[in-house]
Amino acid sequence: MKIVSTYVKEMKIAFRGFYVYIEIFVAIIALIILLVAVKENPEGKSEEYLYNDIPSEILQDLYEKDIEKGSIRFIEDTELTIKPGVFTVLNKDTGFEETFEYKEEKTVIAKTYQKLNTDTGEVKGKAYVLENEEDMIRLSNSTGKVGATTTMDASGNFSFKYYLQGYETKRYSDVLYLLHTFSEDDIKAAMDQQTTRKIGGSGRLNNREAVVPIFIAFSGALMSFFIIMSYVFLDKSQGVIKAFAVTPSSVWKYLLSKILVMLTTVLISSSIVVIPIMKLKPNYLLLFLFLIASTFLFSCFGLLIASFFDNISKAFGVLYLTMIGLMLPAFSYYISSFDPLWIRFLPTYPILEGFKGIMKGQADVPYILTYTLVFLVGGGILLALANFRFEKSLTV
Amino acid sequence: MLNKIIRIFRKDLKITTRDSMLIYIIVIPILMAVGILLFAPGISDSSTKFAMLENDSSEYIEYIQNYAQVELFDSMDELERRVLKRDDVTGIIQNGSSFEVIAEGNEDPSAVIMSETINALYGLGATRENTTAEILSLKKSVPPIKTNLVNMLILLVIMLAGMIISLGIVEEKSDNTISAMNVSPVSQNNFIIGKSLLGGLVALGSIIISLLILGYYDINWFMIILVGLTTMILTMVVGFLQGINSSDVIEAAAGVKMLMLPIAGSIAGYELLSAKWQWTMYWSPFYWSYKANDMILSKNAQWSEILLYSAIVFVLSMVIYFVSIPRIRKGLSQS
Repeated sequence: MKIVSTYVKEMKIAFRGFYVYIEIFVAIIALIILLVAVKENPEGKSEEYLYNDIPSEILQDLYEKDIEKGSIRFIEDTELTIKPGVFTVLNKDTGFEETFEYKEEKTVIAKTYQKLNTDTGEVKGKAYVLENEEDMIRLSNSTGKVGATTTMDASGNFSFKYYLQGYETKRYSDVLYLLHTFSEDDIKAAMDQQTTRKIGGSGRLNNREAVVPIFIAFSGALMSFFIIMSYVFLDKSQGVIKAFAVTPSSVWKYLLSKILVMLTTVLISSSIVVIPIMKLKPNYLLLFLFLIASTFLFSCFGLLIASFFDNISKAFGVLYLTMIGLMLPAFSYYISSFDPLWIRFLPTYPILEGFKGIMKGQADVPYILTYTLVFLVGGGILLALANFRFEKSLTV
Repeated sequence: MLNKIIRIFRKDLKITTRDSMLIYIIVIPILMAVGILLFAPGISDSSTKFAMLENDSSEYIEYIQNYAQVELFDSMDELERRVLKRDDVTGIIQNGSSFEVIAEGNEDPSAVIMSETINALYGLGATRENTTAEILSLKKSVPPIKTNLVNMLILLVIMLAGMIISLGIVEEKSDNTISAMNVSPVSQNNFIIGKSLLGGLVALGSIIISLLILGYYDINWFMIILVGLTTMILTMVVGFLQGINSSDVIEAAAGVKMLMLPIAGSIAGYELLSAKWQWTMYWSPFYWSYKANDMILSKNAQWSEILLYSAIVFVLSMVIYFVSIPRIRKGLSQS
């Protein structure tokens, strides 16, 4: 009962300040941005600059075939500005280097087409077709995008020149070489002979939905680490924990009431974003259980760290670096090829993966429940340690 | 006047050294720079990864290893377990003269297409020797992801300066030192400049050291300092405003979260919005700062562009400063 009354008192104090309202305000702003500015299925942003050294009738014929196949669609011509600059081009096969220097800015008009997914019609990217090769190379250099020249010789054979930036991996350029060893039709025919077996679920989060796990993991659960520390430092400056030493209530009840305030705030702010965007897709029971467990873990961690410092200024370095470190799994989340073993040991890695699965509506229930248990037990241990530290020092 | 500013600056320098805050502002960006140095190669290597069976022919495995990262497994069960993990790795196996791709079903479609393509090329006997392609390199060594991370680091350090100012003001308020300042010969303007100077200068120094650690020796340093200084003005105003408006450290912490919104939004807007929607971010000085830094770090910036972007950041910062100065003065007088 004492916990309940302490929690109610803490909630009243929290609602008297601005913090809870700022949390709700940030969640509403994030929701508006997601609904208005983030498209569910955005157009591909890849761009390339092309130059074709091919007789115009043949080129026109090739375009028409592609348009018929549904793989390209011409859009309005684009005016491009080419910046002045100096750069060197190295031919990787011959080792020949050539330096180009341009002092004047130049404006060119490029024929522009969108590259389309033939099955879905989705826009995969954009290509600009330049009138001369030099402009194409300059644009590739100044924008950092791929440039390519296609040439047709007298006997009707095609050859290709790719202008890469130089930082691409060897594997990437080797694949480019390989893609031009056989005709597109031959490769397609060999691809069609293969079987593709799907062994799992097919759900993917769209672009907008994919932001939701990041928001609730970082702006919700992880933020509780920072905020609970701020709460404790405020109370430390006001001597609240010392007061607990002379009251019948124990310090752990005070700490738990702070955690409950964090849980309430995170549940409210996360729901504001999750429910309108994900609607009925996630298993909400699992979602809230996992959110409670992860917020509990970070809150307890925040309490433990706070027990070592007198004020937020002194704790700042640990706080800031811990938060930045715990945000690193976001790279794995967005760049699936970046998945080193060490990053999986950070708690935010399973949190992001867990939320992602729940949002897809295909949660791996044993995975979620295992980590829920790990977070609750881990949080419990951290809370016990924090309680021990606070009782010992009584400097809250 | 300059003497008083320097005195406040020196007082802050003493206090922050005592609290280790100064060390944090210097050390945190440097640690983050070292982190970027370590992680950037892994992050920018976007080579496809395949799961394969150990008992497939060594010729097939070696061929694929030339073009992608490969993880080998003893049995089909293990391979399938790998494919079912939470990334986009697909399995590829050879059945006599035919091939099979094993996918979870929720991968990026390009992962499955790449698997089928590489199998097809192996089946056709494609080698680099019979290619009709030539590769030319523009000899750049810094991948864009590293530039993005460094650019984010710069904004994080600038935000750090704002956070420190904000938390510093809250602590000054709780110690009643602002009331003491009000009855001293130090003017409010001097106090504001003096308080901001330390965070600003140290943050700028940290940015420069971080860039050197990350190997950006040959960028235009005047440009980066110009953009850094103009952005810093804004962060200091915002930090001051947050500090003045926050009655305690929790509200200052919540204010930091508010500051993260325009910064994160500006980065996301610049990186994700298509060209025709970029105008929706023009209101944000952080957007212009990020854009300018992107050009400088890519060694692709012209003075005309950088001066324009810095002017925009400066004007927007000044607008916020003049709008908020009565609030700051009132806050300082009431503290």
